[in-house]
Amino acid sequence: MVIINKKSGQMKIQQMSFMIIAVFLFLAMVGMMVVTIKMSDLKNSATALEEQNAMLLVTKLANSPEFSCGDVYGTAKTDCIDEDKVMTLKANIDRYSNFWGVSSIEILRIYPPKNPLAKDIECTSTNYPKCNLITVMSGSSDFDKSNYVALCRKERYNDEFVNTCEIARLIVGYKKVQ
Amino acid sequence: MVGFALILILVAVIFIVFISVYIKRPVERVTDYEVNSFVQAVLQYTTQCQEESLDNLSVQKLISQCQDRNPCYYKEMDPCIMLNSTIKEIAKESWNVKPGSPIKGYSFIINTSEGNNLPQKMFLNITGGVVTNNYRTGFQPFGNPNGENIIILFNAYS
Repeated sequence: MVIINKKSGQMKIQQMSFMIIAVFLFLAMVGMMVVTIKMSDLKNSATALEEQNAMLLVTKLANSPEFSCGDVYGTAKTDCIDEDKVMTLKANIDRYSNFWGVSSIEILRIYPPKNPLAKDIECTSTNYPKCNLITVMSGSSDFDKSNYVALCRKERYNDEFVNTCEIARLIVGYKKVQ
Repeated sequence: MVGFALILILVAVIFIVFISVYIKRPVERVTDYEVNSFVQAVLQYTTQCQEESLDNLSVQKLISQCQDRNPCYYKEMDPCIMLNSTIKEIAKESWNVKPGSPIKGYSFIINTSEGNNLPQKMFLNITGGVVTNNYRTGFQPFGNPNGENIIILFNAYS
């Protein structure tokens, strides 16, 4: 009788220990799953932060005194680039070679749209404003970021100057930090 | 045996709670620079609608012109038709929502309200592509000359 009770007690202890191991393994697996999800979130956040930083630089550039409209087109506006100013800047870009710490700056007019079959037309002093691409600074870049801007200029209409604002993308090329 | 069942039930309940909390996380509405800049650029765009002074109106002024139902000076064009077509065209040219592109769709919404805490009325809603749960938002409120609040909301769905 004593032997049977002893055996049954041993069985119960064995069952309990197996159960504890199983529960422990299960919780460990759940924990690992949570850690993996959190880690992937962290990676995504880091990438998003890096991208946001580059985008912030593009926005800062659009609102810098060298590009921004200021009060020329009415009240001060954000994300507004003075096209006339940019054309002058383009002619004197040698003086600004390392000023912004970027490798290339382009402004591509997207609306009104150009003929979809036609190539982009680079703006020069002779064809301006009948063009759609202003390469302010050219250079090789590892990646680029772009943002929407209003591209404003003064146009002569019936012996008066009128404001014309169009939609463009400011594209900034960066070199990867080694 | 009862202990074993209790442990199983406890673990199952914990697991279900964990999964339901993870799935029911609120959809994040991310405000970002690109979408906000797009809204700013659109509001500044010069339209074909002219005032009596022969100045062309910006989209921002055209919204007020449309609310007041004042026709454009040149050819008495309807400002609301012009507003609708201008925003539709700009959004179509600016956001590529073709299959395979990272942006699946967009919606450009103009709401109006008569006061800060009063309910908003939808004034214009232009959508393109597919609406998904994952989106970025651009937001710009401003007041019109009549004292009404105009709220611009642009969502880019990915």
